[in-house]
Amino acid sequence: MPSPAIENLVAQLTRLPSIGQRTARRLAFHLLQVPKEEAIALAEAIVDVKERVHFCAECGNLTEEELCSICLDQRRDRHLLCVVEQPVDVVSLERTHEFRGLYHVLGGALSPLDGVEPRDLRIADLLRRIDAGGVEEVVIATNPNMTGEATASYIADQLRGRARVTRLASGLPVGGDLEYADEVTLGRALEGRREM
Amino acid sequence: MECFVLSRGLTVREITLRDFRSYERLELELEGGLVLVAGPNGAGKTNLVEAVHVGTQAFSPRTRADAQLIRFGCDGARVALRAERRGGNAAVEVTIIRGESKRARLNGAPLSATDQLRSELPTLVFTPDRLVVIKGGPAVRRAYVDRTLTRLLPTRANLPRTYGEALGQRNACLRKIGLGFSSKEALAPWNEQVVTLGSSLQAARLRSIELLSPRFADVGEALGLPDCKLEYSAEPLTLESLERRLARDLERGTTSAGPHLDEVVVLAKGLELRSFGSQGEQRTAVLALLLAEAELLTERDTGAPLLLLDDVLSELDVGRREALIGRLRGLGQTIVTATSDSALPARADQVILVNEGTARTA
Repeated sequence: MPSPAIENLVAQLTRLPSIGQRTARRLAFHLLQVPKEEAIALAEAIVDVKERVHFCAECGNLTEEELCSICLDQRRDRHLLCVVEQPVDVVSLERTHEFRGLYHVLGGALSPLDGVEPRDLRIADLLRRIDAGGVEEVVIATNPNMTGEATASYIADQLRGRARVTRLASGLPVGGDLEYADEVTLGRALEGRREM
Repeated sequence: MECFVLSRGLTVREITLRDFRSYERLELELEGGLVLVAGPNGAGKTNLVEAVHVGTQAFSPRTRADAQLIRFGCDGARVALRAERRGGNAAVEVTIIRGESKRARLNGAPLSATDQLRSELPTLVFTPDRLVVIKGGPAVRRAYVDRTLTRLLPTRANLPRTYGEALGQRNACLRKIGLGFSSKEALAPWNEQVVTLGSSLQAARLRSIELLSPRFADVGEALGLPDCKLEYSAEPLTLESLERRLARDLERGTTSAGPHLDEVVVLAKGLELRSFGSQGEQRTAVLALLLAEAELLTERDTGAPLLLLDDVLSELDVGRREALIGRLRGLGQTIVTATSDSALPARADQVILVNEGTARTA
């Protein structure tokens, strides 16, 4: 590498998810070629989000204020709480325009192998919210993978007797063809078939 | 004939090698049906079969060290093949470059996981090393049954992996509790995952053994090994059984019950082949297992898998060779190696002569 500064930039970029050595090098040389203002605008945008965005004190979603816009919205149904792993999951669920309740963002899924224990997730906050009263149903929308399922069952255990707990169904993508469904998803859909 | 073979399953039509093992360059066209690869010892027969395996599965059945596949003194190797299968053609290209990660493409699209090829281009391989399935420890047989399961029960193909992950999480949790970094309450979700996935895995193994065992008996009989049988002794896994072992599990930091410890037994003539089988019987059993699975897969609409049989003929007497060839006639493309082109009791659809890094159709 021609300079330690470039080397450092490449090293920093490789730490980003799905960026390998080669992509990092390409990005670094790209940044060197663009006008200075453009590169600085990117750097400032990063500093800006890190300084202004933090977690909502109530639900753990991302916000620039004390509470996020969903928690502040008085039209939302406060009897219904949806538990998700990450803020990005809130975005996905909001796109449906179907869920009118509030959220609770855990900040990840249980994984002792990666050092994630119940105390590392916002589970105590969740119990506090439920105990404060008003919530009738908790919809657990953690990912349908092994760690997501384990997290769901842990939370369901903790909530037993405190609120009604439901779990998102898994099955076939709507609008697709059976032909293109993978065997595992199709198998699970078959398992969860309904009477008509 | 052409059309019949095409409908039977996976058929490799052409293979191109570049700096692969003993082959500097090779372009070879293959026929469907029975293909005999003949040549003296050390001529490169096994390397050719290995290349076909790399071309359909993107890994070698002999080694996990991909750099070993590169011809001595070269920087990289390439295997490309063109195959016919149900639902159209498949072109695979596998590139191995020293010090870089392996790249595989199917019909031009890069493959993220080479696992994908296992279901896309089903290939079963026999090499003399496969004897470990009978002779080796229980872990080898579990891994064998789990591989078979991914082909016979595709909807449950990810169970062995997800169970392994759940087990890893539970063991990590046990060790953390042992060190005082976590509480027993945190163990509950992992107990549940291990029990749910573990029971499903046991059920799936039982199901694939149920499918495989009668066919194994049938093929074994034909190859002169009577009363072949597969047995799976699974200890039922429940939350209670985990609870009973908790003190011990905490002390050791590992889970002491579950499908990761179950035993799969291969029997013939009422005896366990691992302890009581002769070398020849063990070999026949491995071959019979492979053919049994191939027959089951052939009857499905995905069609016959490609069979690669390296050095199976040498220890079979003439009668058994004939029985083997008879059995193979009902299957798809089969590539067999032998030191002599007269090793087969029947006429092959193609004979390939291998010598000193070259291979050509006789």
